[in-house]
Amino acid sequence: MIKKCYRYFGGLLKRQEQWLNRMAAAGWRLTEAGKLCYTFESCAPGAYEYRVEFAGQMSYGKSKDYRAFLEGLGYEVFYKNVNLNWSVGKAVWRPWGQGAGQVSTSPGSFNKELMLVGRQAEASPFELHTTPEDKAKYMGVLARAYLYRAAALLALGIFLGVFGSSNRLPEAGLSVGRMIGGGLLAGLGLWMLWRAYRCGREARLYREEAGLGG
Amino acid sequence: MREHARSGALTEVTFFILLSVYEPRHGYAIMQFVERETKGRLILGAGSLYGALNSLTQKGYIELLGEDGERRKQYRITAAGRQVVKKELARLKEVARTAETIVGAHPAAAGENIAKGTAWIGERSTMADPPRWEVEGI
Repeated sequence: MIKKCYRYFGGLLKRQEQWLNRMAAAGWRLTEAGKLCYTFESCAPGAYEYRVEFAGQMSYGKSKDYRAFLEGLGYEVFYKNVNLNWSVGKAVWRPWGQGAGQVSTSPGSFNKELMLVGRQAEASPFELHTTPEDKAKYMGVLARAYLYRAAALLALGIFLGVFGSSNRLPEAGLSVGRMIGGGLLAGLGLWMLWRAYRCGREARLYREEAGLGG
Repeated sequence: MREHARSGALTEVTFFILLSVYEPRHGYAIMQFVERETKGRLILGAGSLYGALNSLTQKGYIELLGEDGERRKQYRITAAGRQVVKKELARLKEVARTAETIVGAHPAAAGENIAKGTAWIGERSTMADPPRWEVEGI
């Protein structure tokens, strides 16, 4: 039996992972992941388990290599988007990326920022990152990604808020709308700043555990 | 994947990965080797292993042999990697020798006394005159 679900999790990696694992526990195995649509087929309840991996810092070549490596271990891997843009011929600068991963293009790594990794459930724990130095690196990547997005959203939100409230804008209605929009963007930016702080703190703890210093 | 900045010591995971590729192995076989040889104490995550293999390849400690029949990359230790393993083995032997010397010079006393002392702490409310040597042994 096939089931289609429409969901959008954006950058909520943990929530997406929990949802996929709830679906698997209920007897649904992921077979396809679109921008908004997830396709499942029925399986034995709890037969599969999932992890959501952030791969937005990798170049397309690197992410394909990593995907092939994971598939070589017997895992099922699906690319997933963080954003909702439908685009072709687009290039985006990702300051938090590594090497060639700083530029994301479509076609290419754009809209492939996440990997949904599934495997048949086993007794051993399913963790992709197990060593403190690797966890520190991964959390550091997440912290940088959140931080840059937070900075961009805060700047845009403040810009809109300030200009939205300016008397120089003749349309009062538009002005209020811009203020509300600016406030929402700034709020989202603050939330991302909080996430960046949390990830950065975890990265620091793992670095200390690995003896890499704070 | 790193060596300790000051001592040059390898992490346990790095050491076991290097040991695992004395024979050509792909990622899954390396994970199985580490889990088996440490009796399940060390379980390597795929992301950590991928990063470690790339890092060790860059350092020249292991080399990529190509792909097996199922298109999985196979790795093998290099001469430089063997040297690193030998150095780490010598370091571990030195650590073990030092530890054996110290522990051997204090035969079972410390551990036993701690156990007895702990037992005394547990029973102190019922003991009128606790044996002094046990307390000193703690």
